[in-house]
Amino acid sequence: MNEMNLVELMNSNIGLYLAFLGSAIAVGLAGIGSAIGVGIVGQAAAGVVTEDPSKFGRTLLLQALPGTQGIYGLLIGFLIWSKIGVFGTIANVSLQQGLMLLSVGIPIGLVGFISAIYQGKAAAAGCAIIAKRPEELAKGMVYAAMVETYAVLSLLASFLMLNGITL
Amino acid sequence: MAIVKMKKMTMIALQSEKEALIKGMQKFGGLQVIDLEDQVGRDGFERLEQDQDSEAAGKIENKLSQVKYTLDFIKRYDRTKKPLFAAKLQVSEDQYPEYLNDHLRAESVYESCRAIDGKFTEFKSVETKLHNLMAQLSPWLSLDICLADVRQSKSTNAIMGFISTKYLEEFQSAVAAENMELHIQEASSGKESTYLLIIYHLDREEKVSQLMKQFGWTKVAWNEMSGTPKANYQRIQAELAEIESKKKELVRQAEALAQHRDFLEALYDILTIERDKCTVVRNFGKTEKTFLVTGWVPEKMAEELAKAMGAITEKHVISFADPEADEDFPVLLDNPAVVKPLEMITEQYSLPSPKGLDPNLVMTPFFIMFFGMMVSDAGYGIIIALITAFALYKFKPGGGMKKMLGLLCLGGISTFLWGVLFGGWFGGLITIPAVWFDPLKNPLFMLMFCLALGVVQLYTGMALQAYKSIRSGRLLDAVFDQGFWYLLLTGLMMMAVPAVAAPGKYMAIAGTAGLILTQGRSEKNIIKKLVSGVLSLYNVTAFLGDVLSYSRLFALGLATGVIGTVINAMASMLGGSFFGYILMVVFMVLGHTFNIAINVLGAYVHSSRLQYVEFFGKFFEGDGKPFEPFRVNTKYIE
Repeated sequence: MNEMNLVELMNSNIGLYLAFLGSAIAVGLAGIGSAIGVGIVGQAAAGVVTEDPSKFGRTLLLQALPGTQGIYGLLIGFLIWSKIGVFGTIANVSLQQGLMLLSVGIPIGLVGFISAIYQGKAAAAGCAIIAKRPEELAKGMVYAAMVETYAVLSLLASFLMLNGITL
Repeated sequence: MAIVKMKKMTMIALQSEKEALIKGMQKFGGLQVIDLEDQVGRDGFERLEQDQDSEAAGKIENKLSQVKYTLDFIKRYDRTKKPLFAAKLQVSEDQYPEYLNDHLRAESVYESCRAIDGKFTEFKSVETKLHNLMAQLSPWLSLDICLADVRQSKSTNAIMGFISTKYLEEFQSAVAAENMELHIQEASSGKESTYLLIIYHLDREEKVSQLMKQFGWTKVAWNEMSGTPKANYQRIQAELAEIESKKKELVRQAEALAQHRDFLEALYDILTIERDKCTVVRNFGKTEKTFLVTGWVPEKMAEELAKAMGAITEKHVISFADPEADEDFPVLLDNPAVVKPLEMITEQYSLPSPKGLDPNLVMTPFFIMFFGMMVSDAGYGIIIALITAFALYKFKPGGGMKKMLGLLCLGGISTFLWGVLFGGWFGGLITIPAVWFDPLKNPLFMLMFCLALGVVQLYTGMALQAYKSIRSGRLLDAVFDQGFWYLLLTGLMMMAVPAVAAPGKYMAIAGTAGLILTQGRSEKNIIKKLVSGVLSLYNVTAFLGDVLSYSRLFALGLATGVIGTVINAMASMLGGSFFGYILMVVFMVLGHTFNIAINVLGAYVHSSRLQYVEFFGKFFEGDGKPFEPFRVNTKYIE
C-alpha cells in the first residue's frame, strides 16, 4: 500500500464500519450473556416451581436480574448509532474515530457477556434459597446484584468513553 | 432510631388463678415469655419444677390437626371465589364457647371428609387396575374369540402371546420348515411386538415350546375372563364411566361441605388460641401451689401489664428489672410511619443487635433518594406513586405487603422529584427542560454528584460508629478510629481542589500520623503497634472502592432514560397509518411498563446493596432476635 492509498483510506468513511462493529460487540455479546444467564436461572426456577407453584413470582424476580446486561449493551449500541447518525444523516467517521467507537463497545460487550452468565449462576443458587427459605429472597437477590456491579461499572466506562468522542 | 427498651418481668401467682392470668397475658399481647426449662431445678430455682399440662395440650393439638385436615380438604373443592383482600370474619370472644362446644358439627364434617377422601383413593386404585387391563386387551381387539375357550382341549392346546416383530418372519419360516402343523393367527402387529394366537397338537408340545423359547415368546394369560376381547374392553369402558360419574357425585358432596368453611376457619383460630394458652405453660416454673413466669415487656407497657394483672387478681407478686449488661433482649423497632416501610430493608439483612443501633431513621433519606435517582423519570414516578398509593388506600393490606407498597410509594415520589430535576419525562416523550441539569449532557458533573452523595453516606456511617463508641464511654476510640479517618480522607479530597490543596495536605498528613500512632494500639509490642498502624492506611483503597460503588446511581439512572428513548424511537417508527398509530400506542404502553418494572427491580436491589455493603459495613451490628409476644394469633377471624 503506497502513501497515497493510505491517505485516501484515512479520508474515506471507513470509520463507520468500525463504529458498527463496536455497537455489534456491545449489543451482541452482552445480549448473548444475558440470554445464557436468564436461561440458567429459568432452569433452576422451574425446579423450585414444580415443588411449589406459588413461588413463581419470587423466582421471576431472580430471573430478571441477569437480563440487565443485554439492556446495557443495547443502550450503548443505541448511543453509538445515534452518534454516527443511523437514525438521521450519516456522519463522517474517520479511521481514528471509528477505532475509538469500536473500543467503546468492548467494555460493556465483554463484561456484560461474562458477568451475565455468572450472575445467572448466582441467581440460580438464589432459587435454592427461595425453595428452602422464601423469606430470605432479598439476600439471594443481593448476591446476584454483587455480580452486576461490574456490568454497571463497564456500562459507565463505555458511556464515558463515548461521551469523550466528538465527531 | 429506636430499639424499644425492654424490661424483664418476673411474676409469681397462684396455680388456682393461672388460667385467668394466662388469658389476661394473651389479651394484653405485649409480653414475650422466657422459657425457664434450662433454669428450673438449678441455680436459684432449685425448688421449682417445669410446669405443663401435656394431656390437655395433646387433646387440643389433636383437634387442631383434624380441623386443619378438614379445612385443607374443603379448600381444594371450594369453588366460591374469595376476593384478594377479603375482610376477616368477625367473631367476638363470647361466641368462642359456641364454636368450641359444637363438637358434633366439626366431627361430622371431619368424618365426611375422611369418607370422601377414602373413596377417592379407592376409586383411584380401581381405575389404575382397569386402565392396565385395557392396555393389555387393546392388541387383541380384532380376535373374535371367547377368551375362556383359549385353553387345552383333549388333543390340542391354544395359547396367546407375543414375540418381537423383527423375529416374526424368521419364526414363520422356522415353523414352515419344521412342518409343525400349527395354526397361527395374528391379532395385531406393532413396531415392537406382534400378538399371536397359536393352536397346536399336543403331540408337538415339546417342539413348540423349544421353538418358542428360541424366539422369545411371551405368554399372555387371562384370569378367569370370558367373552371376546372386544366385549371385555367395552365392559371395562363402561365401568370406568361409572366410576367417573361416581367421582362427580363425590366432588358434589365435597363442594357441598364448603358451607362449613367459615365455621371451620373460626374454629381453627379459636383452637389455636387455646393451644397457645396451653403450650405457653411449658415455659413456667411451678411449686405445689404457685407458679413463676418471666418475660420481656417493652418499658412503656410495663405498667399497663402490671395493671392488667392486678385487675384479674390481687394475689400475685410482679416486678420489673432492667436487662443486665451482657443480657440480650428481643428487638422491637419503633419508628415514625414514614420510616416503617424501610424496616423491611433492614430486616431482610438482619435485625439490629439489642446493643447496636437501629439504622432505619438515618437510612431512610438515603434509600429513598438513591431509589429515585436510579429510576429518575418524573412520568414513571407519578405512575408508581399513584398505583401504590391507590393499592394502600383501597385494599389496606397488612404486614410485609403494606411495607413493600409504602416503600414503593415513597420511591415513586422521589423518582418524580429527581425526574423533574433531571428533566426526564417518559424517556423524553414529553419535553420539559430539566429544573437542575440534564445528566446526559453533563455526565462528569453527574458522576461527581453521585460520588459526593456516596461520601456523605459513608461519613454518616462512620459518625454512627463514633456515636456508638461515645455512648458507651469510649470517647478516645471515636477520635482514633473515626476522627483521624475523617481528617485523612477529607484532606485527600481537598488536595484535589487547587483552592484548598495546601490546608488539605496538612490535614492528610496529620490524619496519617494519627492513624499510624493509634491503629495498632491493641498490640503489645511497639514494633507491631507501628506495623499495624501503617498497614491500616491500606483502608484508603477500601474507602475509594466504596465511593466508586455509588457510580451505579448514575449508570442505572442513565439506563432508564436511554431505554425510554429507545422505546419511543422504535414506537415512532410504527406510526404513519391509522393502525400504525394504534400499534405505536400499544408498543409504547408495553415498552414503558417493562422499563418501569425492570428499573424498579434494579433500583430496589441496588439501593439495598448500597445500604447493606457500603453503609452497614461502617457501623451495623446485626443478629438481633425479633420480639415475639404471647398474643392472640389469628389467621381468619378478628
